[in-house]
Amino acid sequence: MRRIANVNRRARLLGPVAGLLAVALAATACGSSSNTNSNNGEAGVNVGKPQAGGSLTVLEDSGFAGGFASGLDPATNTTGGANLPQMQSIFGGLFLLEADDNGENAKIVPNQAENYSFSDGGKTMTIKLRPGIKFSDGTPMDAKTVVWNMLRDSKSPCSCAPTWQLAKKDPIVAKDNLTVVIHMAQPNGALISNFPISNINWIASKTAFEKMGAAKFKVAPVGAGPFTVVSDQLSSELVLKKNPNYFKSGQPYLDNLTFKSIGGDQPAYQALEAGQADAYEGMSTVPLINQAQKNSKFTITLGPPTSPYVVQLNTMKAPFNNIKAREAIYYATDFSAISKGLFKEDLPVSGSFAGPGGLFYHKSVPGYRNYDLAKAKQLVKELGGLTINLGTTNIYTANQVMTALQTQWEKAGIKVKTNSLQLTGVIQAFTGGNWQAMLQTAGAWDPAAGVGVAFRFASTSPFTGVKDPKLDNLFAQAGATTDSTKRDELYQQAAKYISDKAYAPFGFAFSPANVAAKGVHGPGLTTPIPALAVNTQVLWDEVWREQ
Amino acid sequence: MAVIDASSAQLESAVVAAGAKPRGRWRAWMRTWIPAGTVIFILAICFLGPTVLPIPGATGGDVLESGQGPFSPGHLLGTDSNGNDVLSRLLSGGQASLLIGISVNVIGIVIGGTIGAVSAYVGGLFDTIVMRLLDVLIAFPSLVLTLAVAQSLGPSKRNTIFALAFFSVPAVARIARSSTLRLREMPFMQAAQLCGSPTWRILLRHVAPNVAPQLISFAALGMGIVIVTEGALSFLGLGIPAPAPSWGNMIFDGQQSMSATPLEVVWPSIALLVTVLAFNQLGENLRARWSGR
Amino acid sequence: MSAVSGLLPTRSGSGFGRLGRVAGSPLLRLIVKRVVMAIPILFGVSVLTFWVLSLIPGDPARAMLGMNATDQQVEALRQQYGLDKSGPARYWDWLTGALHGDLGISMVSSQSMSSMLGDRWAVTAELVVLSFIVSLGVAVPVALLAARWPGGLFDRVSMVCSMTGLAVANYVLALLLVLVFAVELGWLPAIGYVHISDGIGGNLKSMILPTLAMAIPLFCFYTRFLRGDIVDQMQGEDYVDTARAKGVGPWRVLWSHAFRNSSFGLITIVGLNIGTLVGGTVIIEQIFALPGLGQLLLQGVNTRDTVVVQDLVIIFAAIAVLANLLVDVLYAVLDPRIRYGSH
Repeated sequence: MRRIANVNRRARLLGPVAGLLAVALAATACGSSSNTNSNNGEAGVNVGKPQAGGSLTVLEDSGFAGGFASGLDPATNTTGGANLPQMQSIFGGLFLLEADDNGENAKIVPNQAENYSFSDGGKTMTIKLRPGIKFSDGTPMDAKTVVWNMLRDSKSPCSCAPTWQLAKKDPIVAKDNLTVVIHMAQPNGALISNFPISNINWIASKTAFEKMGAAKFKVAPVGAGPFTVVSDQLSSELVLKKNPNYFKSGQPYLDNLTFKSIGGDQPAYQALEAGQADAYEGMSTVPLINQAQKNSKFTITLGPPTSPYVVQLNTMKAPFNNIKAREAIYYATDFSAISKGLFKEDLPVSGSFAGPGGLFYHKSVPGYRNYDLAKAKQLVKELGGLTINLGTTNIYTANQVMTALQTQWEKAGIKVKTNSLQLTGVIQAFTGGNWQAMLQTAGAWDPAAGVGVAFRFASTSPFTGVKDPKLDNLFAQAGATTDSTKRDELYQQAAKYISDKAYAPFGFAFSPANVAAKGVHGPGLTTPIPALAVNTQVLWDEVWREQ
Repeated sequence: MAVIDASSAQLESAVVAAGAKPRGRWRAWMRTWIPAGTVIFILAICFLGPTVLPIPGATGGDVLESGQGPFSPGHLLGTDSNGNDVLSRLLSGGQASLLIGISVNVIGIVIGGTIGAVSAYVGGLFDTIVMRLLDVLIAFPSLVLTLAVAQSLGPSKRNTIFALAFFSVPAVARIARSSTLRLREMPFMQAAQLCGSPTWRILLRHVAPNVAPQLISFAALGMGIVIVTEGALSFLGLGIPAPAPSWGNMIFDGQQSMSATPLEVVWPSIALLVTVLAFNQLGENLRARWSGR
Repeated sequence: MSAVSGLLPTRSGSGFGRLGRVAGSPLLRLIVKRVVMAIPILFGVSVLTFWVLSLIPGDPARAMLGMNATDQQVEALRQQYGLDKSGPARYWDWLTGALHGDLGISMVSSQSMSSMLGDRWAVTAELVVLSFIVSLGVAVPVALLAARWPGGLFDRVSMVCSMTGLAVANYVLALLLVLVFAVELGWLPAIGYVHISDGIGGNLKSMILPTLAMAIPLFCFYTRFLRGDIVDQMQGEDYVDTARAKGVGPWRVLWSHAFRNSSFGLITIVGLNIGTLVGGTVIIEQIFALPGLGQLLLQGVNTRDTVVVQDLVIIFAAIAVLANLLVDVLYAVLDPRIRYGSH
C-alpha cells in the first residue's frame, strides 16, 4: 500500500518535469513549421453580448507600460505614451482610436469630446465637449477645466509636454461652457491623430488637484474615466474600481480593474498560465507569442503593425556621410529573411516608415535598394573596408534583430560591433552625436504623431541621423495640411527621398501581442486596434468577462 | 624550521596512511582522477573543440535556419533563434565562462588572499584599517558598481572580470585573514618567527600553503555563482557582449522565453552543472590532500 | 580552534571600557562596541556610493526632462536637487538630511522617500529573513546527516543536489518553481504579495516560492561548506578524539563538539553572503511582482532617479552591516571566550 502511494507521489512530482521535457521536444521538433499568420484574435467571431460585473487583473511589463515612476498626473507623467492603460482607465480621453473588429478602418473618434472642427486654414481647432460629464469627485468637466488642463500641460517642464506651436495671444480659450478653441501659430495636420497618445487628451479635475496638491495627485489622480483609483503603488500596482458616475450608461462592465507590473514576458506568461492574472499587454518575445497561440487557454491578439524597424545611419559623421557606405548597408540588409527566421512569418517589408496597420501605407517604394550581396561586397571593396558600430535598445526582440543584421552585414565584409543599450544610453548616444548606426522603430499610425517619422528624420529632432532641408520641408508641408490625399502624396515623396539618398533602410513592422484568458473580451484586447505609437490602446470601459 | 616542516610532513603522511585502507587506495585514485579528468576534458573540448571539431561557428549562422531541434542535419544540438549552432555556442561559451570563472577566482585568491594574510600577520592598526575597509566593500551593493562600470566603461570580458573580482576579493580576504590568525598561534609559526625568517618568507613558505586549501574550496563553491552572475549582468548592460556566447548569457537569454524554448536553458545549465561538480570535487580533493586530513 | 574566530577583535577596545563597565554585562559591552564600529562602515559605504554614482556619465536632470526641455528648465531642476553643487557639498546635504530622518524627495515621482519606502521595506525584510531561516534551517540538519557518514549514500545524494542548486541560476530556479508549483500543481500563487494584515496564511503562501528561489542556492552553499568543515573537525581535532575516547556517542560528538565549532565558520559565510542575498531581491521581486525595495531600486536605476538609487543602496548596505553586527553578537553568545575577552 505504502509503496503504491509513494510511486504515485513521485509520478505526480515528476509529472511537471516530464511535461516540461515533452513541451521542449515538441517545441523544438515543430518549431520551424509552426506558422501563424496574422492574429488568432476574435476578429469577426461573434462573442455574444457583454456582461457586467467581475474583476480583472492585467499584467504590464515593468520596463514599459508597467513603469509609471513619475506618477499618473497627465502634466507630469513622463511615460504617458507607454502608460495608456492606466491613463485611459482613469481619465478616459477626449478622443480615442477605434477600429472595426478586424482591425481595419481605424479612425479617431470623439469620446469625452462630442465633435471637433478645424478653421482658419487649419490654424484653429474647436473642440465641443459632450454635455453632462462629471469627474469622479462630482465636479463638472467643462471648457474652463479643459483649458486649465491644456495650459498646464503645455507649460509643464516635462518631456511629456505637447510640442504644438500655439499662437502667442490667447492660445487656448473657453468660448462657452462646452467649447474649447485652440489657436496655433501654424496649421497642424497631425494634431487630431496625436491626441490619443498625448497628455492633452487626459483631463484632470482641477478641484481635486488643488485640494490634494501636485505630489498627492500624481499617486491618486481624479479624472472622468471609467475607473477611479483605490490604491496606487507607483510602477508596481494600480488598483481601480468602477466609476459610478461614468458618462456612458452601463459602462464600464468591470467592477474592479487591477494593473500589476511584472519583470518580463516569461514571468507574465507563467502567471497567466497559473491563473493569477487575466491579461497581459504588449508581449514581444516571439517564441512566447507562438507558444501562447498554441495554448487553448488564451486569446492572442496582434495589433495591426504601424511602426517598422529602421536602421538609422548617422549621415553627419564618417563612415555614413559617404553615400557608398549607406548603400552598402542597404544592399547587405535582408529584412525579409530576418522576418522568416526570427518571426517565422513573412511580414511585409515596404521600405518606408508606414506600416500596414497605419495611414499612408504603400507596399513598396520605387527604386528602393533591395538585398543584393554582390553589390554590397563590391561597395565595401571600393570603400576599402567598412567598420561600424550598431546599437539598439536592450529589448529581447530588438537584440535578436540586431544580431541577425550583424550576421548579414558581416557576410558582405562589413565589420560590425554591436551594443545593446538601456533607454538612457540610447538617449545619451543620440544627444552626444556619438553613434554610427542605430536599430530603432520609426513611424506611427499617423506618421506625424507620436514617435513619428519626423522624430527620426527631421533636423530639429535630437534623434535624427539626417539633417536635410528638403526632407524637413516635405515633413513641414505634410504636417501643415489637413487634406489627407495631399498628405499621402507628400509622405510618399518623403519615403522616396529617404530611399534615394539611402538615408536609412526600413524593415518590417511588428506589433506586440495582447494575451487574454479565454472568456475575457474587449476592443484592443481581443480584437485588434492599430497601435498609435508602440502599444495598442485597449478600450477598458468596454472590456468584459464571461460570468 | 626544517625540523618542523619535516615533522609536519611526517604527521601528514601518518594521517594519510591511517586513512588509507587497501581497498580505499583505488577508490582514492578514482576520486582524484575522475574530477581532474573531467576538468581537463571540459577545458580541452571548450578551448580546442571549436577549432578541431567539424562544427559551424558560434556566431554568424543563417537566420533562416533558426530554431532547429537536436539531431538536425549539421547541428547535433540544433540551432538557436538566430540560426547559430547550439553545440558550437556551448563550447565557445564555455571558453568565455571558464575564463571568467577561473580568472575571477584566481584574482580573488591572489589579491584577497594576500591582503587577508598580510593584514592578519602584520596586525595592529594596519589590520584594523584593512578590516574596516573590507567591511565597507562587503557591504557595498554590487549592483551600483556594476552599473557604473557598465555605463562608463561598457560591456567587455575585461570589465566583467573586473566587476566580478571586485566582490570576490574582500570575501576571500576575510577568510584568508581568519585562517592566518589561527595559524599565527601554531607552534611551527612561532618557531619560524623565532628563527628570524623574513616576513615575506614566512608568508610564502608557511602561511600560503596552509591558507590556500580553504580559499580554493571556497572559490570552487563560488565558481558556478560567478558564471551564472555574468549572464545576469547583461541585464544591467555588462557581461559578455552579444553575439559572443557565454554559458551565463545563453542561460539568461534562454530564460526570457523559457516556456517556449526550454532547451536553450537546459544545455548550458547541464554544461555548467558538470563543470561545477568537477571543480568542487577537485577543490575538495586538493583541500583534503593539502590540509593533510 | 574555529577557523574564523579571528574575525573578532582580539583585544577589547580601551576606549569603550568605561562604557562597558557602566553597562555591566560583557555581552552588552560587545554589542555597544560593534554598534559604534558600524558607524564608520556606514559612513564609508555612503561615501563610496556617492562617489561611484557620480562616475556614471550623463546628466540625470537632462535625462529626466527629455529633449524638449529648455536649458533653463534643466538648470532649475539641477538646482532643485542640488546637482549643480560639488560632490562633497551634495554629500554633506544628504548626510545632514539623513541624520534628521529626511531621506529626500524622489526626482521622478516627487514623493518623499519615506513615503515611497512605506510598506516596501517590510516585503523585502520578510523575504530576506524567511530565506535565511529556510536556508539555514535545512542546511544544518542536512549537513549533519551528511557528515555523520561521509561518503555514504546520503552524503553523495545531498552533494549532487546541492551542486545542482549551485549551478542553477536563481532566476531560472524561480521560473521552474513557478512552473511546477503554480502552473502545473496550482498549489501556490505565481505572483503577487499578500499583505500580512490580510491574513498570515495568505501572506506566507505568497512568500513560499520567492523564498525558495532565494533560499535554495544559499542552502546548497551552506550545506557544502558546513559538511566539509564538520568532516574536517571530526577527523582531525584532538578534542573530538578525546571525546570519543571518553565514550561519548557519535551523534553527541557531532552535535556538541564538531558542529559547535564549525558553526563559527558557517556564521562567517552567512555574513559574507548577506550583501548578495539582499541584492538578489532585485531580480526575484521582478519575477514574482513583489512590491519590495529591490523593485524600487531597479525602477530608480531605469529612470535614473539619483535620489532613489542613493538612498536604497545605502539602505541595502545598512541591512548588510546590521546583519553582520548580529552575526558578531551571535558569535559572542555561542562562544563565551570572546565575551570575556580571554582569547
